[in-house]
Amino acid sequence: MAQSQDKANAPINVKLLLIGNSSVGKSSLLLRFSDEQWLPEDESSATIGVDFRVHKMDVKGKKVKLSIWDTAGQERFRTITSSYYRGAQGIILVYDVANRESFDALPKWFTELETYVSSAVVKIIVGNKVDKEFSRQVPASEGQAFATRMNALFVEASAKTAVGVQEAFRDVVERILDTPELWQTGANNVRKSNSGRRSGDDMPGSIDLSREPEEAEGGGCSC
Amino acid sequence: MPTELPYAADAEEALSYDELEVLRLQYQKELSQSHVTVQTKFNYAWGLVKSPLREHQVEGVRLLQDIYRQEPGRRRECLYYLALGHYKMGNYEEARRFNALLLDKEPTNLQAQSLATLIDKRVTREGYIGMAIVGGVAAFSTLVLASIIRRASRK
Repeated sequence: MAQSQDKANAPINVKLLLIGNSSVGKSSLLLRFSDEQWLPEDESSATIGVDFRVHKMDVKGKKVKLSIWDTAGQERFRTITSSYYRGAQGIILVYDVANRESFDALPKWFTELETYVSSAVVKIIVGNKVDKEFSRQVPASEGQAFATRMNALFVEASAKTAVGVQEAFRDVVERILDTPELWQTGANNVRKSNSGRRSGDDMPGSIDLSREPEEAEGGGCSC
Repeated sequence: MPTELPYAADAEEALSYDELEVLRLQYQKELSQSHVTVQTKFNYAWGLVKSPLREHQVEGVRLLQDIYRQEPGRRRECLYYLALGHYKMGNYEEARRFNALLLDKEPTNLQAQSLATLIDKRVTREGYIGMAIVGGVAAFSTLVLASIIRRASRK
């Protein structure tokens, strides 16, 4: 990371994380972005734990090597996926425009985010599945308003038709490059300290891996 | 631009000591209260399988096999992590067997497809190393034998 700016040819490493409820299309967005493919619903399977892709792109004249962590949306993987927030510079929060519940869950995802990453980390909200316009439950204006309130970028997309997919990834990377503290020397450790965390905010099925193990036991030496 | 494949994210990165401790302590706590939830057991098993230590991997695989038997609803992830655990331990036949069971149920599962490629690659690589060792040993014995024969024929 630190050396990457010394050598003009070395790419800037950027870590992105995809989060959001299950079945909103996180893996499909990634598959569309990295492989220009799309699998119909009956052929796609729910992500187990976490999946990972590396993708290289040029943004603003800079070479960027993206490591994209695609997390499982199912609650039972919540503890597992939380361990992947560490070091992320960009978070892609996905909901399904034809599924109100997945949009309403976004505040919970933001609460989880606040536990694990610093506020400087770039966030983008992606309203996926705009190809299902006929069954839309969340207007674009509502998504946009929420994103503005949360200080996040916003785009609507469809992994199926490829609309908005490139933009989503490009926008978040551009914003990261505009935030040098996220990728320059020493900035790799953007993990947030867990002070000020309120218990009770936990999403169901999750154990906070960022807490000290001694806390779990109650007392003990942390040497 | 192409994506670098195959890759199994969970095969490469281990948890920190503290992170694994959080999962272990939760498991121990529930064990001492004689009621371990499947979630706690699964979280701990996953942390163990990711560990670079063989004894952890063995324990992780043991717990996953328990869960597989107890909890039909969690079989797909058990199969995946069982395959991953055996892969990390170098038990490629077992790894293939569990991964094949998952692919049987979900033929288009990209994670399982990727893991299958990963296992095949490792088997091929270790096969070459094995052949190289066997080849090296053969070459060496030929040399030794030749020199013995040479010495013997000089007498």
